[in-house]
Amino acid sequence: MKKRISLYILLIGLCTLVSCQKLRDKISPQGILMAGTAVEDRVKMSNQFYRSSLDGRIWLVAAGDYSFIVGADSHLTTDPGRMDEMLAIGLQNDDLFYAHLGDLADTKAEYYYTLDSLVKKAKERYVEKYFTQVNEYEWESNSIRDAMEDGSDSVYNLTYDEITYPFFPVVGNHDITHNGWALWSNIFHSSFYEIDVIVLQEDETLAFDHLIFLDTASGTLGQTQIELINQGVLDGKYLYDQGYRYTFVFSHTNIFRPQFFEFASTFTREETYFLLDQFEKWNVTGVFCGHVHTWDERNFNGVHYLTLDTMCEKNNPEPGDYLVRVNVGKDNLGWEPVRMNYTPKKK
Amino acid sequence: MKKNLTFLLTSLMLLTAIPASAQVYSGYRKFDGVHKNEINGSLFYGFNVVTGTFFGENAIYTRHLSPRWSLSAGQQVQFLKQVYSVDITGTYRIPITKKANVYIDGRVMFSRYQRWKVNEPVANLSAYLETNYVDLRWGWSYIRYHKVDVNELYKDFTDASYGEPLVMTLQIGVNIRPRANRWNLGLFFRNFDQYYYENWNINWGVRFHCTLPYDIKLFSEFNIRPAGSLSQLATRYETSLKVGLKYAW
Repeated sequence: MKKRISLYILLIGLCTLVSCQKLRDKISPQGILMAGTAVEDRVKMSNQFYRSSLDGRIWLVAAGDYSFIVGADSHLTTDPGRMDEMLAIGLQNDDLFYAHLGDLADTKAEYYYTLDSLVKKAKERYVEKYFTQVNEYEWESNSIRDAMEDGSDSVYNLTYDEITYPFFPVVGNHDITHNGWALWSNIFHSSFYEIDVIVLQEDETLAFDHLIFLDTASGTLGQTQIELINQGVLDGKYLYDQGYRYTFVFSHTNIFRPQFFEFASTFTREETYFLLDQFEKWNVTGVFCGHVHTWDERNFNGVHYLTLDTMCEKNNPEPGDYLVRVNVGKDNLGWEPVRMNYTPKKK
Repeated sequence: MKKNLTFLLTSLMLLTAIPASAQVYSGYRKFDGVHKNEINGSLFYGFNVVTGTFFGENAIYTRHLSPRWSLSAGQQVQFLKQVYSVDITGTYRIPITKKANVYIDGRVMFSRYQRWKVNEPVANLSAYLETNYVDLRWGWSYIRYHKVDVNELYKDFTDASYGEPLVMTLQIGVNIRPRANRWNLGLFFRNFDQYYYENWNINWGVRFHCTLPYDIKLFSEFNIRPAGSLSQLATRYETSLKVGLKYAW
């Protein structure tokens, strides 16, 4: 009888735990042993989209030295303040692009609606600053127009949709915990992609930098992504004989555990060693990770690893250095912390 | 054909019905105060998303130095995956009741991940409680890894070394029969396997053992090793089947 009562108490406790709305938004208990959203499907879809729709490549053009900012784990819910601040900082400082290390929002349709609206408004501000509307449907880049000797040329005009807003995220586990891939992919389309930065140097030579965005939201790359990497899909070098000057990798899941009481997933043993080896093959300069909400910086085998703290206003309500700005020059490369001042409204 | 099959099955049943003399295996542990030596050999086959199909062998020898102390040494080779491991384990047994023991295991282990040129030394200290139906392990591991390429020893690998912060070792196992039964079937959940300790990835699976003639013990494990357990998106990563024999003398 006692055993039966204990069993009933246990079952009621489990049902309460599972039915608790707040907890269910954050946690997917069944996902600890087996999840529904597969990295294989995400990577296949991302790769197909990227290779077919975008003709295999996004290009960014930098005139000389440039900078970019990186943020992580915004966990956007109803307050988009910090995300908005990140994009505003990037625009104000003329950063070439803004990378986000995943867990953008907490997998609810309304949060993604907020995120989508926010990114669309940020694109409007971006286009307003760097482009000029030449007719009803077309815009021209101010920097390209200035660089052209004979003034503007319609060849370089773009429709609004063709203008790439340089906000490049990777997908995080909280983005997709409750089958949020449908929401995430509707806005950002691809979770596994690469970008080339073409640098017009002062001595009129060209340099090429390489940005690699990995889908590590599931805590594993999965078979498809590993096969694609092994096939050289992200090597990019076939385009240029001279190879890349700097290569940066962006991943949600961290490689190194910053502290012993971190309960977040890291990669499995073989996958950790595979990645460390792959970074060496890619001649990677820097790897940016998120996920654990704790700052960490270290070198391993000639590669610099930064794990970023969360910029989420709920986890870090006080102003702080939650972003990183990387300054990329011909002979110098460095990073600096970037302060975020947004403080959430008290309820 | 039918006659032959009946004869074979009857013979097998008769053989397995022979009493187990002094050797009474107790779950996965074996110490009956009589036999001082144990040998355990197994073969395994599996699939890993990074390395693909792999197979290998594992052998462990245990010497019971006294009713309380024992020492084990083992090795494992994983072909195709190219992982080679050795370990030494010292164990102290604390009897709790007639049917339950706590074992304190101190272990040092070394694995070479040849495919990625990584050496991985590990130290583990854990306590293992084995009762009639349930077994639990709790402890801590210290894992280091070094990138060492024997073909590039001229290269500077001084910054290619990392010591992970201590990581907890956890295991929960349940059996459907009492521990000393001649056969048993159970479930397990743990964040390690024979020659690796994971951070927070939870292995789970089914285990089985039975006693064969001549007191040889047959054991088997079907191990599901997902990745990303605590990302709450556990994803297929590795599955393997191990079958082995154990004998004490």
